[in-house]
Amino acid sequence: MKKVLGVALGVLTAIGGFVDMGDLVANAETGARFDMNLAWVVIVGVVGIIVYAEMAGRVAALCGRPVFDLVRERLGPRFGLANLLASFFINMLTLTAEIAGVALSLSLVSSVNYLFLIPFVALLVWLVCWRMKFETMERVFGLLGLCLLVFAVTVWKIGPDWNHLFSDATHPHVPHSETVFTYAYFGIALFGAAMTPYEVFFFSSGAVEDGWTRKDLGENKINVLIGFPLGAALSLAIMACTHLLLAPRNISVDQLSQVALPVASVVGRLGLAIVIIGIFAATFGAALETSLSAGYIVAQYLGWPWGKRGAPRTASRFHVVILMAIIGATLFGLTGVDPVKVTEYSIVLSAAALPLTYFPILVIANDPRYVGPEHTNGRFLNALASVYLVILLLVAIATIPLMIITKGGS
Amino acid sequence: MTSTPRPRSTRIRPVEQRRPRRTAGRAALALVAVLAASCSEHSVGPARTYDDYERKSRTSAEVALSAVETVRLLAETSSDGNAWGAYTSVSLSEQEDTLAEAEGDYASIQPPDHRSDDLRVKLLDLLGTAADHIAAVRIEARRGNLDSLEQVARPLADDSAALQQFLDSIKR
Repeated sequence: MKKVLGVALGVLTAIGGFVDMGDLVANAETGARFDMNLAWVVIVGVVGIIVYAEMAGRVAALCGRPVFDLVRERLGPRFGLANLLASFFINMLTLTAEIAGVALSLSLVSSVNYLFLIPFVALLVWLVCWRMKFETMERVFGLLGLCLLVFAVTVWKIGPDWNHLFSDATHPHVPHSETVFTYAYFGIALFGAAMTPYEVFFFSSGAVEDGWTRKDLGENKINVLIGFPLGAALSLAIMACTHLLLAPRNISVDQLSQVALPVASVVGRLGLAIVIIGIFAATFGAALETSLSAGYIVAQYLGWPWGKRGAPRTASRFHVVILMAIIGATLFGLTGVDPVKVTEYSIVLSAAALPLTYFPILVIANDPRYVGPEHTNGRFLNALASVYLVILLLVAIATIPLMIITKGGS
Repeated sequence: MTSTPRPRSTRIRPVEQRRPRRTAGRAALALVAVLAASCSEHSVGPARTYDDYERKSRTSAEVALSAVETVRLLAETSSDGNAWGAYTSVSLSEQEDTLAEAEGDYASIQPPDHRSDDLRVKLLDLLGTAADHIAAVRIEARRGNLDSLEQVARPLADDSAALQQFLDSIKR
């Protein structure tokens, strides 16, 4: 019974922790601008993250070592360094976006300008990283993130023509008001939001922090096969909300407050309170994950002690990197950059760097020296992962040209 | 933690000692600078032809229409008792800022010919009127009169229609 409860809790955490600032912004923006015509990208993205997160979790459970630790060993220091620099830069952008997201959600209940709240949020993020136990941190914010299910309630309360909604989602086309380039650019943004690299670093490092062994392989599969698709359904609910309520009014989503507007309008004050708690939890949880990921990838590449299992003094350099990353992101956020734009760029640039993250996972998950001969990828999984690798390469090649052609999606 | 033996032959080599090339550092700095610049809201470039100017007019009108419609929905939501003061007030300020930036950016673009002058006068007039009406809603919200927001926001319906008409009148 305890095991079942543990698995259920893990699945709920995976659902609640699936959505972050990138998902909130990307899904709300595309729903308002492209209706449901990009819903298929969410599905493609979630299948991709399922395939690769399962591999990363399996590798971590069997080796007791996370992915980034193995990248340098298996593919050499040069590839590892390129991966580290790209991942760290994108991670910093994501961390900035998440900290600003938390500050924005707090400003919606306090009326205080979000710039004044950023240092307070940064301090809170650092304190939680420093003091709170890994499992508690993961569970609290993952479960609170379930408040975002209010988006699904909103769609249900709007009472759309479900056949029409489904038909819209399954018959995608480029809307008349858009070009094929903006369509592709926002498709890449959604794909990047679903497959953000830090999720894999955190997932595999978290598996080691939680002390996963081969006994936990089943839980790993259940988490990704049930939790992630339900998290993706939540993303689609956000998209449907803005499609149904904001698109008909010609409203484009440029602010985080607009993401909550359909919920307030349809569900009322209680709904607004729940969605803001959900946004707070999703962005705060992701701020913790990206802060820790900064420490994980640097410490794992350089071979330093890392993790939250022991006292901070046993992994002092890991904690210094986390602190520096939080300070750096805070200073960048305080320059007054538009948090929504930072989010857009972080997810689009993530897409450009995806092969660097996912290719090594595929290599290691096929290496019997790491996972044992009985746990290497099967043919079907390898075929699927290879197809995704081709998609990731195409996306990486197309991202920067599309960013220039569309002037950042405008 | 695991019974799987670690690989025998590892390829760990010491971290490279040589310093990263300066060009790589400069490229990274340039990328950060470009990103920081492009993350600032509503960056605009020059318009060299009428078509260019018309495109920029469309973008500004679309931003304004979105702000106006957001404020109308916010006013309606708050008047119905579905949103509290802080949320309404912050959201209204954001839309007011968005419109003000769109107006300022558009006004700073040099119209390339006389035809563009007409477009400029017409759109700036619409943007100015909408900004005044949004400010009135924001003032009312800050006074805590959420019940009357929908009434105060009524002129925005005309602004929305006028902006839509403007968008219909220029080519995509």
